[in-house]
Amino acid sequence: MNIHKRFLLFLIKLLLLLVLLPSSAFAQLNIFACAPEWGALAKEIGGTQVSVYAASNAAQDIHHLRARPSFLAKMRKADLVFCTGASLESGWLPVLLQKAGDPKVQPGNVGHLMASDYVMRLEIPEAVDRSMGDVHSEGNPHIHLNPHNLILIADELSKRLAKLLPQQAKLFNKNFEDFHTHWLSNIDRWEQQTLSLNNKNVVVYHSNWIYLLEWLKLNRIATLEPVPGIPPRISHLETVLNSVQDLNIKGILLTPYQQNKAAAWLSKHSDIPVIELPYTVGGNEKAKDLESLFEETLRILLGTDA
Amino acid sequence: MSRLCRWATACMAVALITCSQTVFSAENTDLTSLKNEIAEMRKLYEQKIMLLEQKVTTLQTQQDEIKNQAPAAQVASAPATSQRNIGSNDFNPSIGAILQGKYNSFSKRNSEFSGFAVGEEGERSSEGFTLDETEINLAASIDDKFRGSSTIALVQEDGTQVELEEAYIETLALPFGVNAKAGRFFASIGYLNEYHSHADDFTDRPLPYRVFLNKQYNDDGIQASWIAPTDLYTELGFGLFRGSDFPGGGEGDSNIGAWTAFGRIGGDVGDNSAWRLGLSTLQVDDLERSSNEDELEFVGDNKMYIVDSRYIWAPTGNNRDKELILQAEYMRRDEDGVYDDLAAGSGPVSYDEDQSGWYAQGVYKFHPQWRLGARYSQLNPGSVPSALLGTALDDQNHDPKSFSLMADWTNSEFSRLRLQYNAEELSDNNRDHQITLQYIMSMGAHAAHPF
Repeated sequence: MNIHKRFLLFLIKLLLLLVLLPSSAFAQLNIFACAPEWGALAKEIGGTQVSVYAASNAAQDIHHLRARPSFLAKMRKADLVFCTGASLESGWLPVLLQKAGDPKVQPGNVGHLMASDYVMRLEIPEAVDRSMGDVHSEGNPHIHLNPHNLILIADELSKRLAKLLPQQAKLFNKNFEDFHTHWLSNIDRWEQQTLSLNNKNVVVYHSNWIYLLEWLKLNRIATLEPVPGIPPRISHLETVLNSVQDLNIKGILLTPYQQNKAAAWLSKHSDIPVIELPYTVGGNEKAKDLESLFEETLRILLGTDA
Repeated sequence: MSRLCRWATACMAVALITCSQTVFSAENTDLTSLKNEIAEMRKLYEQKIMLLEQKVTTLQTQQDEIKNQAPAAQVASAPATSQRNIGSNDFNPSIGAILQGKYNSFSKRNSEFSGFAVGEEGERSSEGFTLDETEINLAASIDDKFRGSSTIALVQEDGTQVELEEAYIETLALPFGVNAKAGRFFASIGYLNEYHSHADDFTDRPLPYRVFLNKQYNDDGIQASWIAPTDLYTELGFGLFRGSDFPGGGEGDSNIGAWTAFGRIGGDVGDNSAWRLGLSTLQVDDLERSSNEDELEFVGDNKMYIVDSRYIWAPTGNNRDKELILQAEYMRRDEDGVYDDLAAGSGPVSYDEDQSGWYAQGVYKFHPQWRLGARYSQLNPGSVPSALLGTALDDQNHDPKSFSLMADWTNSEFSRLRLQYNAEELSDNNRDHQITLQYIMSMGAHAAHPF
């Protein structure tokens, strides 16, 4: 039959193409990191044994990314998918995993690491409804700005890497131990430095600062978005303005990717300064890795401390 | 003697004191550094303990969560209780429903494509208020290897009809970038064909999709694809289908009535833009299809080729704020067989002609909630055998074309309102000005953000 013959011919051509394409062998582990902070942590623990691809940069709102063709190509080669989880990447990660992910990076397998599974998540809602905006039933997913969380995640990461590349298990373990010791002394120093921030008030644009605020014992007085994911409107801003008028507010916290019109409006009407923090690795010129991210964040917060 | 003795004693005492003082001061520095070291160690261990405590609390919470779920699971084996439902709910698929509605206003009473055989869904939508399609989607992982999805559409066409739009299973765990799908689904040809219409950027499909695919080709069959391990995204795939959906039709004499093949490449340009280019084909053999409200019959083969392209640019880097999407597709179709226009009484006329069409569109998001778009589509009916002059396939030297402008407002990821204007000229001297107001709302499961 005509159609069968034509189809068979096509299949043969396809097979030929498959055979002729060079198969590449990798000595290293390929890591697909959804966010810059996970990319940076993967480099700390994986060292020279990993090749890290960070799917997003600090200028992008990770929740709103599209499943781009280049992501499919990277996912195809990934040995470990290292993302936030808690539905933060739910708009694009499942499509990538389904279309291009190897069995070992599928949920439940060793190559599938969702950082938020290994920390105490905050703001877990009792009930969810879309009228509450873009809330996550798993809790607030923006977990990386409490440095204690990073140790827990790094610990799990080193174990996963060791399972994926057992001949380098010792190295991964050593890298984790080094990171751990160094990070603990950092945390200690940072906590000493920021005692003056305790109990200060701030306004935030979106609910992605809660872990930093918890850590530094800062109070969140208001959020510019009426509900998570809905851009601020003037009526809501006026309500916020009323609620902050008699309070001593340190600043309005913004990430580099959040539009600052609403923050500028509030700042103009209330004299509260807008504080743009790097939020993640690459968020400003000096925030080159995790350590400098925290250094920068604290420097900016303290620098604006009256 | 006693003086000497006293002096010696004093000397010794001084020496002793000095000596002991040196020893003492040396011991003192050692002690301080030791103390510091201990303090340092204690701090380190305290922090380690704190870390462990944190871990324990996390585990405890997780265990509590599991415990909370456990009683329900145990009860599940017992006879019907209210808790039983809670237990089985855990494995419920994600449910999503799409509510769509339109209000259409047209300047012309009639709208007919000149020169094309058109299916029911390719025609202009009905005037006034219309519900369009209401979709219910159920999707879930079946186990660790398979995922299933089904979409049921309630369509308003001469009364409400239930349509099984999609019902398919797909593999989750095939290695080497291989993927397989089986069931009824939107075949991977072109760009738009794979997506449900509620994800479209305009209220209606562009002209080539309406005439060549009756809006969308979804058929029963299987499809396999492979993503190459290259830095440039490269995907190759093929499908085998029953061949009963438009442009197919009838049963034919073959088990496999249609096949598809597609190849796609894509990548990024810098951090802020991405592109994709595709080439695909749909080939249907021995089809028997009636169209144009059963007035036009075709028996024969249909070979179609599609080139699709898409480019996305986020000017600020963050596509949530601003985004430009450019998209264009070209379709070419060769029909080889026999046409019979029952209404015009042409009798069976042998037909072997190429027809083509294309569209290009741009959509610009200038505010997180607002977008503007423009689209142009045009068809080329090709030449008509003289025996078919005066029938529906007679193009009367007119190329159907349509120009659209749209503006939409997206409150959240789940709701969108849209206003669209079309200037549509499907046949000669019949320019139809169309205004459409549309809402698209999604309830339940979070939809994917496709490229």
